[in-house]
Amino acid sequence: MNPTRGGWVIMLTIAFAMLLAVVHLPSEVPSWWGWLRPSWLVLVVFYWVMALPHRLGMISAWVTGLLVDVLYADPLGVNGFCLAALTYVTWSFYERFRMYSVAQQGAVVFLLVLGTEFIRMCAQHFGRDGALSWWILIPAVTSTIAWPFVAWALRRVRLQLAVE
Amino acid sequence: MALAIVSALLLVVDLNSRLLSPLRSVLATIVSPIYVIAESPYRVGQSASATLSTRESLINENEELRKRNFELAQITQQFVALREENARLRQLLGSRQRLDAKVLVAELIGVVPSPTTFQVEIDKGADAGVFVGQAVIDADGLFGQVVEVAQFSSRVMLLVDAAHAVPVQVSRNDFRSIAAGTGRMDRLELEYVPVTADIRVGDTLVSSGLGGHFPRGYPVGEVTSVVVDPTMTYAQVTAKPIAALDRSRHVLLVFDANAQVKNEAPAVPSDGAEAAHEDPR
Repeated sequence: MNPTRGGWVIMLTIAFAMLLAVVHLPSEVPSWWGWLRPSWLVLVVFYWVMALPHRLGMISAWVTGLLVDVLYADPLGVNGFCLAALTYVTWSFYERFRMYSVAQQGAVVFLLVLGTEFIRMCAQHFGRDGALSWWILIPAVTSTIAWPFVAWALRRVRLQLAVE
Repeated sequence: MALAIVSALLLVVDLNSRLLSPLRSVLATIVSPIYVIAESPYRVGQSASATLSTRESLINENEELRKRNFELAQITQQFVALREENARLRQLLGSRQRLDAKVLVAELIGVVPSPTTFQVEIDKGADAGVFVGQAVIDADGLFGQVVEVAQFSSRVMLLVDAAHAVPVQVSRNDFRSIAAGTGRMDRLELEYVPVTADIRVGDTLVSSGLGGHFPRGYPVGEVTSVVVDPTMTYAQVTAKPIAALDRSRHVLLVFDANAQVKNEAPAVPSDGAEAAHEDPR
């Protein structure tokens, strides 16, 4: 990422997504509420790759993913792979995705989040005997719901701060 | 493609060895400020409630603490006498005296958000001498162990994490077992308990010190149910953790645990095999 021309904005939004990803709920609420959290990072990375495919490459997505691995206490490399794969898919089809309506983009987001959550779950399952479950559908749904808002907010940020 | 291969390699190496822990600790040092910021609303809330509390409630709290302190001082007096007696008896038996463990107070600065992993971030790291595998306790009992050390912070796996297990014994009759995490905040499971074992609801489980990771004698859990099904090989025993896993904001890092454990009598071989299970990775 080139820090000129608003590269710092991209980094800052990614850092903010990480922040949202680790803000925890008060301990009084039941733990399954944790599943309701949208995958903020997937949404933010998806938006930037779609809007500015020349700015966010696979390498930087992968490095971000390594940081996320440590943040989430996942085995090293899982999120790096997920985010790099996400970047690759988005980068391959960004012209088509841009033409989509918000609802269609939401469907894409649903599949992407489901895919990344599935890979994470598999890694945890094989590495540390975590359970396989259908719960991962929930973050996919909440991410889809959050997508229009995230896209709107990031669009505002991009136009206001002239990130290009 | 190259990235996929590198990721897969990293994944395999990280899951099967500790070779990458220096890399992890560097990355953890980079991301730990994110945890500090994410936790700040709770800290602000805490300090605000401390600043805004009324004079009366402070007086009440002070009174309460004074009373508690008095009680604890009395217990300590007994404890000193008992410890001396214990040392004398151990001397008579010819076994070496146990050393006191040193502790370091740490504060919670974050909770790993995933609903399937139970880890927390604390504010002491390599600069304070924290090491991987160190036992962590809170005011009530065993809390977990350190799994990752960054420069100024470290990661603690709670004992209810599905990847965690700790060698325990029933304090009533020294029956040994292993308390494994289940991935649920209020539940531990005892592994490999024979159906004939003398274990009852309400029994207290304390860490047995076998395996060398955890110091001996800290409360771990209380048995909540014992199901003996004659058709099964093992009894199903569940326990509730004693430490306030979801409420403690301050925890204690225990040093010198190994010095303590090495002085214990050698473990029975089968226990040694079980104790190896305790490693979280």
